[in-house]
Amino acid sequence: MRNLPCVWVRFRTLTLGLAPRLRLFSTDATGGGSVAVKQVTRSNFDAALEGLRACVEESDFVAVDLEMTGVTSAPWRESFEFDRSDVRYLKLKDSAEKFAVLQFGVCPFRWEPSKGSFFAHPHNFYIFPRKELPLHGPSDDFLWQTTSIDFLANYQFDFNACIYEGISYLSREQEGEALKGLSSAYLEGLANSFCNFEEPVEIPIARTSDILFSERMKNKLREWHDSIFRSPDKGYIDKEDAGSNNSQFQTVFFKMRPAIMLNGFTSHQLKLIQLVVKKHFNDLMYVRVVDEDNSWQRRVVYVDTNEDKTLLMKDVLEDLRKNAEKRIKSAVGFRHVVDLLESAGKLIIGHNCLLDLAHIYNKFFGPLPSSLTEFAQAVHEKFPHIVDTKHLLNSNQAIQFLMKKNSKSLSSAFSLLCPNVSSNFQTASKSYLRFEVQTDETSSSCFNSGTKHEAGYDAFMTGCVFAQACSLMGVKFDVGSPSCDLARNAKINKYINVLYPSWSSGTVVHLDTGTEYLDPNYKRRYLPVNFANTTLIWGFPAKLKPQDLKECISKVFGLDSVRSVFFIDRTSALIQFSKEEFVQKFLALKNSLEDNHDLVSVLHPLSKLLEGGNTRAADYDTYRDICAGSASKVLFADQADSLGITWKTKVCAGMQDTDDVCGRETAEDGGPLAKHSSGKKNDCKRQSKHQSSYEEIIGSLFASKTLLGRAT
Amino acid sequence: MAASGGRQRLADAVKQVTNSNFADALKQLRAHVDQADFVAVSCRKTGDCASASSRHPWRRVLPIDTPEIAYLKAKFAAESYEILQFAVCPFSLKGSKVIAFPFNFNLFPRDRLNLGMPSYSFSCQTSFLTSMVHEGFDFNACIYDGISYSSRVQESMDKERNCSPHIQTPHSSSTTSVVDSIFKSRTKSRIELWLSASKNSNSKTDGDLLMSLRKFILGTELYGTRPSMRIDVCSDRQVQLVLQTVSRISDHIVPLLIPDKSGQPRAVHVVLTSSEEDKSILMSEIQNLEDEHNLKVRGFREVIDVISSSNKPIIGYNCLHDFTFIHSKFVGPLPLTFSEFMCSLRLVFTNILDINHLSKEIGALRKAKSLSSALSYLKRQFSVPIDIELPAEDEDCTTKAHGHNVLQITHLFAILRTLLKLFPNGIAKEQYIETIEDYLNILYPSHTRIQESDEEDLSFIMENGRAISTNDLIFLWGYGHLTAKELKHSLQEAHDVFKEDFELQFMDKSCAVILFYRAGSAQVLLELMASRMFYSDGLSKMKSEGLKAAGYQCYKKVCRLGLWDTNLSDSLENVMSDPANGISTFSEKDASEVRWTSEYAIDLSDL
Repeated sequence: MRNLPCVWVRFRTLTLGLAPRLRLFSTDATGGGSVAVKQVTRSNFDAALEGLRACVEESDFVAVDLEMTGVTSAPWRESFEFDRSDVRYLKLKDSAEKFAVLQFGVCPFRWEPSKGSFFAHPHNFYIFPRKELPLHGPSDDFLWQTTSIDFLANYQFDFNACIYEGISYLSREQEGEALKGLSSAYLEGLANSFCNFEEPVEIPIARTSDILFSERMKNKLREWHDSIFRSPDKGYIDKEDAGSNNSQFQTVFFKMRPAIMLNGFTSHQLKLIQLVVKKHFNDLMYVRVVDEDNSWQRRVVYVDTNEDKTLLMKDVLEDLRKNAEKRIKSAVGFRHVVDLLESAGKLIIGHNCLLDLAHIYNKFFGPLPSSLTEFAQAVHEKFPHIVDTKHLLNSNQAIQFLMKKNSKSLSSAFSLLCPNVSSNFQTASKSYLRFEVQTDETSSSCFNSGTKHEAGYDAFMTGCVFAQACSLMGVKFDVGSPSCDLARNAKINKYINVLYPSWSSGTVVHLDTGTEYLDPNYKRRYLPVNFANTTLIWGFPAKLKPQDLKECISKVFGLDSVRSVFFIDRTSALIQFSKEEFVQKFLALKNSLEDNHDLVSVLHPLSKLLEGGNTRAADYDTYRDICAGSASKVLFADQADSLGITWKTKVCAGMQDTDDVCGRETAEDGGPLAKHSSGKKNDCKRQSKHQSSYEEIIGSLFASKTLLGRAT
Repeated sequence: MAASGGRQRLADAVKQVTNSNFADALKQLRAHVDQADFVAVSCRKTGDCASASSRHPWRRVLPIDTPEIAYLKAKFAAESYEILQFAVCPFSLKGSKVIAFPFNFNLFPRDRLNLGMPSYSFSCQTSFLTSMVHEGFDFNACIYDGISYSSRVQESMDKERNCSPHIQTPHSSSTTSVVDSIFKSRTKSRIELWLSASKNSNSKTDGDLLMSLRKFILGTELYGTRPSMRIDVCSDRQVQLVLQTVSRISDHIVPLLIPDKSGQPRAVHVVLTSSEEDKSILMSEIQNLEDEHNLKVRGFREVIDVISSSNKPIIGYNCLHDFTFIHSKFVGPLPLTFSEFMCSLRLVFTNILDINHLSKEIGALRKAKSLSSALSYLKRQFSVPIDIELPAEDEDCTTKAHGHNVLQITHLFAILRTLLKLFPNGIAKEQYIETIEDYLNILYPSHTRIQESDEEDLSFIMENGRAISTNDLIFLWGYGHLTAKELKHSLQEAHDVFKEDFELQFMDKSCAVILFYRAGSAQVLLELMASRMFYSDGLSKMKSEGLKAAGYQCYKKVCRLGLWDTNLSDSLENVMSDPANGISTFSEKDASEVRWTSEYAIDLSDL
């Protein structure tokens, strides 16, 4: 028993620290400095956008940072050392799709040769996925992770500013859809339902109250209609007559035609009026238009002839289109900033920014591609030059030496590399760059001094760290244009488009090629995992410990058969065997044990694992498939259930031989096929499982009742 | 009369409770609940299945849903969304007067221990947050100062893990091995050595160095002011051995079990007390600590426990939705079926009165889609003088008031009580429950809207659909991009079974539901769709182009398995493709009656 393969147990607290956005608070770092960060909400967005445009145009690089509502949607979605590259991307994708971005920090930096310092313009945008258009826009649901919210609250995040005043947005794809919708069917639909061209409504008038109302409206409309004819000038309305009309019948002009505004009716009454107009008045039209403050206005308009009718229709439609276009444009909202960053083509700086980029792509361009390669290429196309300061700090020898063993968190790097900015530490030393934050004094009210973990201030820190690191690497800013073109500077070239992976695989992502490489600067924390040798089991009793699992499998396959056991959560695990064939053997054995209920299977060493009758097993690809599922149950086993997995063991086609030996029917088309146990049995198993959980609930109810009795 | 203009005044009287004043409010509430005849409750959530989820509109509770399916949909919502506010209003009736004490608790599920409790993450609907913005909701107050909670099941799990020091009683001893007796005798000698050392060290002449050395070597520490020693253990077995040993040495030693974060025993602290009284003081100190810890763990759930243990009738609106939330947040995970849910719920709340159900007694109210429209209708139609007496306003309460819903429920109940003559004069309080027994514990699945509008006029709302059998419903998908009209038309062309009249509605972008007027047509269609014969009719052509059909049972199965995260067509496909259930072609024997109405039809132009 001496050469035991090590058994890895996962400690929740440990992995949580690895979560990319939850940078741990380090005590050596100072809080916010006194840097004026411009706060942008929807009230000052348009002006701020113009100001930012000018700053970005003349900047040398732009730093960005995001704050979101969470990082992982379920505990098992945290990144593990047992995740293959595709699984890691699926987890990243899930995070970017489920959580919302609350703050977007943008900070352009410009080198000012005359002063020998950088000018920075930190902006902090509050954004919120409000639905500005009825049909298109950000999805209605998003997720909050309670620990992330608590974390933001610890740094005095202003949730009210975000939800009340946050800027909304449309992704490029959503905008495209909205505009496409405008062109054809949508407007025709509008025309049909809002003008009395075709069958507008079909409601049976059954109630006496409806009939009375319709009759009354008919008379009123007739009266008004006739009053137009009575007077020589069609626009002239008899004052007395107008006065006698009640407030619901205001005569106005609509596109040079006499009209009445329909105010104060319920939607049902409006339908009735529409019906009356259509039935009884050939030269009146019921139209619905949008007024200045974006609310619907219903009018009944007088039209001379049929041509006039068509003309009015066209006019109304044109108005509707213009209005809809205007609304779409304003709904694009914050995406204008992202468009600006893309079109300016400046060097983009982020700290640990892979997740940020996934959010940016998903929120402002379109749905995330299905593979890391496609994603990297898509991002590279939009932003050709990106530097991740986290990677820069980790892989540059000089900076490594300077930072020694210090934490590579943004704030500690900032206080170490830029002490003159972070703590107003006065120094004559030339080695520190100087940064000046510029404010436009006209609107000082929307500035506040930045605090840590506010996106705008984080972006500022990221930019400062980058500039200082460049200077340490010997980049000269003031010799003139050639070296100032940072994106093509030879000294930093090898750091461009290489992202810190934010997971423990020891690899980096190269955006330009879309591939992952092992990077010598990162120590692998774990031995490489052979995924083909790995099997997934879930739904086993929660009381089993990794050591128990290992023991009971080793009893069957031999002492050295299990290389490692990794617990995803308390009822699911990945087991790495020493040989690939063990995976299939294990699955086949489990399958046959479950079909035979004789004494042998009860006494079998594996029965400990199968206790409860809900233990499922499959290959590593199933782990990927379950991670790809869109639900986010807290327990991994529940997640598998939510995908509708009803089989208990997935036996692959490659195992046909063993299958036959066991007397099983074989896979049909040669591809991997799930082995289904009969439905009835399955159902009753499910039933019994939940029966017991239900009893547990009741049991605990009584337990707490007695507790309660004692407390009171 | 509490006129609608008085809503602000009414709402001002609602006591707003956050973390900072929770302890006081709980005390007050307990007293008021004790005095009250009834308790009205209502909660404010971050989302609901009733509202328009634009991606998956079929998740809404629809009129064609059986109560079972309505429950499953409510369950899904309760598991995804959070409660942000919980309003409670204990009230009593005195003639036409209502004496009410409304409270509004701000909640936030704080994961203090990083355990994913009470919730790891939760969903939010932007439309809900936006409508909260219109009411001036203070999100900062809610997140910074909201009260956390844990459910009963979570609490008992926490108990099991038991991370705080506690006292454990020793089991009667079992057989001891040699290893055990060695461990015991070593522990015994350590404790005796420590006992004699601590008796002798009264002189207090030891230097600091000696003290820290002793602490290091012997593991002696102070527990409060009492001397104690730490004995490291690594299993429950060893804990038992230590406990046995201690009990044999002295009565004045109290062993305290110190677990690590995962609840495994890590060490036993043996604390020395000077006398019997001192020991009981220590024991009560430990008990107090435990109670304090429990209170912190339960948090807001204390309020639920107060209501639950009072056994007062609970009045709610839209109870199916509210109580699935309450059960999943404060009691435990929701059971898989409606009947089990009701069973479990009754263990906690014996008498629930759904005001939707009570309102059915008044014909017109059946159609009311919101609390305020029901209330304003009653106020207009009947003049029932109701005088709501509220506690004096809180002077220092500056936050914007919320939770007036619970007052509306109270008000509505008071009116209904008078109209329906629920409690005849002279009836004793104790008989209240008896008289309303027929209405109790019937949760009425309703299809409410989130946006409440006061202007809604009940007299214009259509009847609530007609009763139909679930056997006559067929779900269709794979027809491409057709409008309802086009689809209906092409179906009529396709086969004789569609020659009879039928109705069609969309469930979402991908799937439509058909109602056949003639019994048996649905069965014919399903058999046609299942047969592999190819005819030259239009239906076979549509089949070859991908048209699929499923009966109501498949829909039920989709809901039971909880395949909510896709289009309905994908979920149905998933269920159908599972050979384990050959149900697609057979109609159910236990068909249920549901309702069909065009009013709740999903408008695809909304999507």
